[in-house]
Amino acid sequence: MNVFGRLAAAAALACFAPCAWSAPARIASINMCTDQLLLALADPEQIAGLGPYARDPQMSWLAEQAKNYPRLSGEAEDLIALNPDLALAGKYGKKATRDLLQDHGVKIAEFDVPRSIEDVKTQVRRVGEIVGHPERARALNDSIDAAAARARASAADGRIRVLAVSRRGWVAGSNGLLSSLLATVGLANSASDLGLRSGGFVTLETVIATEPDLILVAESSPRAEDQGKAMLLHPALDRRYPPARRIVIPEALTMCGGPMLPAALDRLSDAIGRASR
Amino acid sequence: MSATTGAPPATDRAGLGRALISPALAGLVAVLTLASLSVGAAKLPVSAVVDALFGAGSEAHRVIVQDIRLPRTLLAATIGAMHGLSGAALQGLLRNPLAAPSLFGAPQAAAFGAVLAIATGLGDALSFALPLSAILMAFLSACILVAIVGRESNLLLLILAGLALSSLAGAATALALNLASNPFAALEISFWLLGSLDDRSFRHVLLAWPFMACGAWLLWARRDAFRVLSLGEEAAQSLGVNVTALRLQVILGVALGVGASVAVSGTIGFIGLVAPHLMRPLVGHDPGRLLAPSALAGAALLLAADIAVRLIPSSSSIKVGVMTALIGVPFFLYLVFRERLRLGGATA
Repeated sequence: MNVFGRLAAAAALACFAPCAWSAPARIASINMCTDQLLLALADPEQIAGLGPYARDPQMSWLAEQAKNYPRLSGEAEDLIALNPDLALAGKYGKKATRDLLQDHGVKIAEFDVPRSIEDVKTQVRRVGEIVGHPERARALNDSIDAAAARARASAADGRIRVLAVSRRGWVAGSNGLLSSLLATVGLANSASDLGLRSGGFVTLETVIATEPDLILVAESSPRAEDQGKAMLLHPALDRRYPPARRIVIPEALTMCGGPMLPAALDRLSDAIGRASR
Repeated sequence: MSATTGAPPATDRAGLGRALISPALAGLVAVLTLASLSVGAAKLPVSAVVDALFGAGSEAHRVIVQDIRLPRTLLAATIGAMHGLSGAALQGLLRNPLAAPSLFGAPQAAAFGAVLAIATGLGDALSFALPLSAILMAFLSACILVAIVGRESNLLLLILAGLALSSLAGAATALALNLASNPFAALEISFWLLGSLDDRSFRHVLLAWPFMACGAWLLWARRDAFRVLSLGEEAAQSLGVNVTALRLQVILGVALGVGASVAVSGTIGFIGLVAPHLMRPLVGHDPGRLLAPSALAGAALLLAADIAVRLIPSSSSIKVGVMTALIGVPFFLYLVFRERLRLGGATA
């Protein structure tokens, strides 16, 4: 899940000044998370195309909106044909694609995977500068701050340990954005008990043996559409973690940082409200 | 056949040894079963495992042992046994030491069947559509192979046709997952092509066991026919064995057993090749007598491989099919080396 890029501090500094003064007319994005930022902050006519997963409602928070724009494959070919003024991409993964694009004169702005709410706000500001709408970025960041303040007001005491379990036993790392969200609402990410800083796959028995107080899952009643997903239907998980011990937050809210953060924080606050009753 | 009259003492000793092989193997399987229940990501002492198995101990321990490790162990033992039995039966049917389900492409075809069932929306990963579709594909691939190889069971033809079928089925599996636009296709492909018993549950046991039991019974019921068949097809025919019916029954048995296994574990190769070969020097060349020891050896091999993948430290879980191939492929090469004269004769 944390495949969509990583670190961007250096790239951010490099681009701020030159990018701000004249906003590019046509901007494309080939990363699901930069798709979200572009959709939230750019004018519709500025968006030249979005990555392959932007329309997937399972993962993409703004999937409905994304349907109005061309769908890119995420590979170099159609992006070169599209020839946008700027392409937003993740900093990690698809290195060959990014190199190829740069060789063909497509300007690329790389974005890291945000590790905290502050990182997200920095990225929001950066995209606001790029598209020439810093006021929209400020408004979004204000709403993120407001949601974080609401969450802190009703926060738990930080002793409830939560493990975020996805398909095939992927566990969100203690050093990731989800940890930052959990901390904001007063929950501890149990991944730190496992020493998983940037996440990793664990077996079901590790999940059970770690004994987190709650597990965080993406769906309340998952369907075994493949073997990876079938793991979440294992009777052992059902037995130890009945619905009362689960926090259900759709993946679209936790996969990226951006316009979905206020909703993600509100959902988390609601969920602990229910769990503590 | 081997129960000759007036046997010298040496044969008696061999007969006694043969009689002891199955109990000894059963003991080994029991020990490996216990070991398999005791090994895992959560470090539990053996006493805690035994407590949890019989319903004592903390709930977390009970869940780990009863709901996670027990189904995995039962599947490893029975799937291994099914592969061993299938290998021995196929080698008996074709009177050919290189016959094995995985060289036939049967598991790969079964994996394609299972993936197809999911991709076409016939059922999800926990439905009966999966084993049924896997069995059908395994049956088709085995029929195609037997049709190509024909009655002579030429070694070279067998290996080439099997290679072609398994490559085709593997590619089709990957393609089906890609076309189903599963964003996690790469991980799913590795499961189906390399096999894994990670985090199986009793639902998987329930999916596989009924079909595996039918398959095992179909093969076991014909053990005497294999014995007669080792005299040659004409001789068997004249002794009242309907060879065509025997072929069909063996293919059906292998397809049922291997297809159902693959539907819950993915492709696990080479157990069916190795197990009968390990047993043949111990029980002699009677293919009827080879079935039970081969099944037990298969169970022991897969249990051991599945224990090994959990013991080797790695950041992500090692697929059990990787382990069986690492053991099986050198063994296969050794067999090819040993048979090289016959193979060379076939090309001349």
